Amino acid sequence: MFTGWLLKPGAPLYLWILGVLGDFLLMGGILFFVLQMIPGRNRKTLVAIITFLAGLIYSVEFFVPPPKGTDKNFLTDFAQTTVPEVVQVLSAFALGLGIYSLLRFHGRNLARKRAGWHNSLALYVAFATLALAGFWQLIRPGDASGNTFDMLFRSMVAAPGATMFSVIAFYIVSAAYRAFRIRSAEATLMLAAAFVVMLGLVPVGEFFTSWLPANGFWSLFHLEKISYWILDEPNMAAWRGISFGIEIGALAMALRTWLSLERGSFFEREL
Amino acid sequence: MEHASWTVAVLEAILVFLILYKIFSARRGKGLYIRKIPGLSAIDEAVGRAAEMGRPMMFSPGLYGLSLPTLQALSILQHITRIAAKYRTRVIVPTADSVVYSIAEEISKDAYNSEGRPEQFNAEDIRYLSDDQFAYASGCVGILTRDKIASNFMFGTFFAESLILAETGHHVGAMQVAGTPSITQIPFFITACDYTIIGDEFYAASAYLSREPTLLGSLVGQDYAKAVLIFTIVAGVAIASLFGIDHSWLKLFSPS
Repeated sequence: MFTGWLLKPGAPLYLWILGVLGDFLLMGGILFFVLQMIPGRNRKTLVAIITFLAGLIYSVEFFVPPPKGTDKNFLTDFAQTTVPEVVQVLSAFALGLGIYSLLRFHGRNLARKRAGWHNSLALYVAFATLALAGFWQLIRPGDASGNTFDMLFRSMVAAPGATMFSVIAFYIVSAAYRAFRIRSAEATLMLAAAFVVMLGLVPVGEFFTSWLPANGFWSLFHLEKISYWILDEPNMAAWRGISFGIEIGALAMALRTWLSLERGSFFEREL
Repeated sequence: MEHASWTVAVLEAILVFLILYKIFSARRGKGLYIRKIPGLSAIDEAVGRAAEMGRPMMFSPGLYGLSLPTLQALSILQHITRIAAKYRTRVIVPTADSVVYSIAEEISKDAYNSEGRPEQFNAEDIRYLSDDQFAYASGCVGILTRDKIASNFMFGTFFAESLILAETGHHVGAMQVAGTPSITQIPFFITACDYTIIGDEFYAASAYLSREPTLLGSLVGQDYAKAVLIFTIVAGVAIASLFGIDHSWLKLFSPS
């Protein structure tokens, strides 16, 4: 804020960094001083007012119709651009705290040689390697740094992620083996529907009923058509019914949070 | 960004009025009934099981950052932590978002303090793992396996990692209670977990567990709101069936 006024474009990077830190300390200090002046019993009221004003931005933006011919009203740019930027800055501070917590936990594992300390060592090595590669690419962009970072990202991040994702296929088989049992009428119905849907989505299922005519009444008994009918009609009806309930529940919770009526975790007494 | 048409504004006003009306009437002391939800009633049983076995519990608040499902999950975490404090049981909370990590830590600390057991709070039990989906899943699988979790709670927004967590919990023999508004993950939780909370039961959890009049009133208001929506749908279907889909009444209710 003040940095932007005091420094001209083209000023050295270290001056910008110092300026931003100074801004942060100054604004943080003023805010801390103001908050300390507010009596303790009024702080929750202050939080409630700020929460209401923050939610009011999005409510007003949604309900105020935009001028004809445009899809933006006077608050749209603020809600779409400025607010997410502020949220991103706050998240960045929280990210630092999260990383500190992670490294502290694994550092204690290493220091005390707890069971599985070698996993903590692996975390530190991977963290340092990828962080250094990233900074190298940032400070000295080029083929060497870029290729190194790409290679490390592909091997240490993308590949294990893909491995975990592919494990899901085996977990699905394991879960389906336990779930699809003929225990009751409903379970049998579910088993039959699952069988038809799965078979209708693979080429061998289409092959089983390929002898049926492509048009006319009997074409409705193609496995793939039955499969899509099950997905598009009864399944979709249930899906939408559940969605209605969820969205109404979300509306109620959003309303309670916005108006600070939420009890329990966030406000233990009436405001 | 989308903006409300007058139809949406009127409908929203009706729904909001119903919810707020029931909240304020509940605050005036009107007793309200809530049916039994087996999944939420099983939470106490799961905490007791972990206490008897002398093994910790795990609570996963999902993958998203600070959102409505995560806020709801955190209010359930507070309830579970309070019971865990009474039974002197650990609750390990791996998080996938650093903001959620900060809030979960505060909630846990407050819960132990409110039960008079501040010494039981262990900051290392609240962990930020990673915001990468499968790195988070791997971390949770490691916790489930190494710490031999007795009860596994999964509340919040989940994606593909839901089945990884639920199946691993099943393999280690944990009692599992899950609830998510992510409809695509509900089937996975149903097959792998002992109790699953479906749909708006997830948002009813805080009212069910705390029995606060404000929250119960909100729950009843939601039911009235659903009744209004059902009436609107039935009316629309009837008009379309009797008078055709291009009838002017239907165009009046068009959202565009």
